Amino acid sequence: MTDAKKRQWDELLTHGATASKQHLADLFAEDPDRFAKMHRQFGPLLFDFSKQRVTEETLNQLFELARTHELSEWIARLFAGEKVNDTEGRAAMHWALRLPRDAVCQVDGENVTTQVHQQLERMERIVAKIQAGQWRGATGEVITDVINIGVGGSDLGPLMVTEALADFSTRTRHRLNIHFASTIDGSQLSQLLRDKKPQTTLFIVSSKSFTTIDTLTNASTALQWLQRSFGKRASSSILHCHFVGVSASPDKMTEWGIAEENQTGFWGWVGGRYSMWSAIGLPIALKIGMQGFRDFLAGAYDMDEHFKHARWEDNLPVLMAMIGVWNTNVLGINGLAILPYDGRLKQLPLYLEQLEMESNGKSVTREGEPVEHATCPIIWGDVGPNAQHAFYQLLHQGTEAVTCDFIVPVRRYHESLHHDAADELIAQHELSLANCLAQSRLLALGDAALKNAESEPLYKRYRGNQPSSTLLLDELNPYSLGALIALYEHKVFVQSVVWGINPFDQWGVEMGKKIAMTTLGKIRGEDNELDDTDVSTAGLLRRIRAEWK
Amino acid sequence: MFIDVYGDTLCALVSAAALASTGHNVTMRVPKGPAATTLARGGCPFREPGLAEMMAEQTTAGRFKLARVDEPIGDKTSVVWLALSPNDTEIAYEAIAALPAGPERSWLLINQSTFQVGTTEALQKALRELPGAETAQRAAVAVPDLLTEGGALQSFTQASQWLVGCDSDWAQRMTAEILRPFNRRVDRMMFMLPREAEFTKLAITGMLATRLSFMNDMANLADMLDVDIERVRRGMGADKRIGEGYLYPGCGFGGLSFSRDVMSLASTLQLSGIQAQLLDQVLRINERQKESLFRKLWRYYGTDLRGRKIAIWGVAFKPETARIDNAPALRLIEAMWAQGVQVHVHDPRALSALAEWAGGPREDLVLHQDPYAALVDADALMLVTEWKAYWSPDFAHMKASMRHPLLLDGRNVWDPEHMKELGFEYYGIGRR
Repeated sequence: MTDAKKRQWDELLTHGATASKQHLADLFAEDPDRFAKMHRQFGPLLFDFSKQRVTEETLNQLFELARTHELSEWIARLFAGEKVNDTEGRAAMHWALRLPRDAVCQVDGENVTTQVHQQLERMERIVAKIQAGQWRGATGEVITDVINIGVGGSDLGPLMVTEALADFSTRTRHRLNIHFASTIDGSQLSQLLRDKKPQTTLFIVSSKSFTTIDTLTNASTALQWLQRSFGKRASSSILHCHFVGVSASPDKMTEWGIAEENQTGFWGWVGGRYSMWSAIGLPIALKIGMQGFRDFLAGAYDMDEHFKHARWEDNLPVLMAMIGVWNTNVLGINGLAILPYDGRLKQLPLYLEQLEMESNGKSVTREGEPVEHATCPIIWGDVGPNAQHAFYQLLHQGTEAVTCDFIVPVRRYHESLHHDAADELIAQHELSLANCLAQSRLLALGDAALKNAESEPLYKRYRGNQPSSTLLLDELNPYSLGALIALYEHKVFVQSVVWGINPFDQWGVEMGKKIAMTTLGKIRGEDNELDDTDVSTAGLLRRIRAEWK
Repeated sequence: MFIDVYGDTLCALVSAAALASTGHNVTMRVPKGPAATTLARGGCPFREPGLAEMMAEQTTAGRFKLARVDEPIGDKTSVVWLALSPNDTEIAYEAIAALPAGPERSWLLINQSTFQVGTTEALQKALRELPGAETAQRAAVAVPDLLTEGGALQSFTQASQWLVGCDSDWAQRMTAEILRPFNRRVDRMMFMLPREAEFTKLAITGMLATRLSFMNDMANLADMLDVDIERVRRGMGADKRIGEGYLYPGCGFGGLSFSRDVMSLASTLQLSGIQAQLLDQVLRINERQKESLFRKLWRYYGTDLRGRKIAIWGVAFKPETARIDNAPALRLIEAMWAQGVQVHVHDPRALSALAEWAGGPREDLVLHQDPYAALVDADALMLVTEWKAYWSPDFAHMKASMRHPLLLDGRNVWDPEHMKELGFEYYGIGRR
């Protein structure tokens, strides 16, 4: 680390030593304009960080830290298509997937915009055919069920967005249901195959490398299920009618048997957890239509432009990221809870767990040295009102400091599909909003939010001072969700710059998969040497093998 | 009697002509539309055996007159006869509101239109809200339309049953008097409440649709089990408990009124909170059946139809009509277009309706006036509507014209053995 960086870290920590002594209740008491000063609006998103334990001085210090870490230069590198993913020697250009048709983007002599839009058009053809009820199974039946087989980035993003935007489903003449199967043990797939008909089911096999074992075993189970129904001789029609492939590796798709016209592609420069903006988002487009998908991309694109051009003081991703750095590195808070107050965003915490922890769960710098500061905190969450009945006790009265992101739409249930029950449902949404505001208030202020708290016994008291941000969406729709996700993506990037790590690789997940392969041989009895593992593993293996005899 | 008949349906014309033929003085009041235009020019908008002739005779005899819907009602008129389209309830209420009503003037309203169950009673209520209801007779009667298209006139003049729904003696006597000439040999009148009569009509339609869908289901099984459905059909029809009607499998039923009536019944039940599970299935099976020829084609050509040229004979929803409402051919054409097929169509009367449906010229749709021209270089022929002219075509000419002699017979009009002898590859619906 350079001296300038060290100096700025020291200065921040010195500031922190005094700033961290101030209780949020005091900060609010001191400044009646705190909200006005500490919230920003961009498009459909209002970002309120007034309940974070920061002052204007803190923000200045944080921006200075970002400057010494050359944030602007790194943003420029990201958007120039430089190989910012150095351990894999690749660019990270998920932002290019959201470029409008007329944007100019040349990288290494390739016209990226054209490539991206060609794939979008391919997607559009597939979506149009399926939604029109004209995608046919091997017997000519209309496809009514689509099962997405993928894991990680090929699962979490599409799953999260199709659930979140269910209110925006395209109306189709034929029933069209989208399902997801990801787990290597076949749990979801076995459930689905029990009540779906082979004649009317289409599989999307999604894998960036098309070598992911979880996905390929599920795909092969699906293929055999179809073959049992149609007979082995029908293999070419089965592949032609029941499988669509999404991958950055067309050769591998062809090798597996995906028909050329059923292949959609993306590129090495898209990381798995950043890929739902590409053809990996096919299930999303099938659910909300291609226009909905383009709106989703547009929301993210506008956030990209905001990230590139807005002053840091107004820049949502930069603010969010630097406040996170403050919480992690200065206040020593190791937990971030993601709390959407909208049941449609149930999968969002899972999605962000991957986005943040797989990106920034690193401890080696870009220079190959161990990091000197903590990096990504532990991230978890659930739908807020449900989590209130689960882990909020710890947030309010436990010993851990935790920071929270509250996410909630202002308006809900005004779409025509809710007409009949709109009044009741709006009342429910109001209740949810009220809970969201009440919880963040109590977490921040503690007893100060109550009357006569001092007279209560200790176990009824609230310490408060748990910092949180609130993201208020005008409404949850394709555009605002696109902007929201892109906000988190860029937040992660900004933090990686300050922490000096590469957020685009994931070497930590590789070795376990390899060891699993040698362990498989031991479970299946192909390899009887157990003591070359460790006594715990050997003990477990013996128990398993004894049971299977 | 002096009877004013409202409507532009086949039922309206048949009723009007038949009533006039027994001496009633009939005024036809036809809502604006293509049927009204044709009638005004002296034509007959429906091709039904004997109908045009009867209308002409009665016009000459002076007992069949045309009038606008909003023209004043004659002094002698005492019967209003409604045979309107299902969507025209508005016209019914307007007609009632326009009736001259005095303390001495009685009105009988006969409703033959297929409206929602309960409408006749609502019309009676409207009728009784007119002035003079305390002193004069006012009643509405449901006499549902049970015509079979193609034999419509006969099914009125020699009806096998009359469903008469009314709730007063006067209305019952009056209706019996009007229909007396058509109810001579045996008394075929069945009296019930108006809503019962309306519901019976829908139940009959639902039952017939169910039989057809059932037979289509059987035919699909027959396909799988290598059984000839034609023999099965004869065997079933010979059983008196079943009878022969409505047992022909085919590539789905279309038509405006038939499917609409079934749907109307399904939705009537749904509104009352009961799920019409069976009828729901009946309609679903039928929709699926409309694509049965496509599925055969799809499998025959190994699930790849790009660049094929396929001929269709018959797009009207049934023979002897120029209409294509809900016709199976439409679903087939859409399915083939989506797979990159060029479709060549012949139909004796429905081509203009098809061109309009297609919304302008397109490369993958070619319309032919000559059925054999549609076959040139075709990879298959689908027979979808069983126009009589298709039953015994010049098979040698057909085979010579086609690129591949594949016949997909959606109405089982050709003999499988004979077709195979002639060198065709033949697939019917459940035939072997």
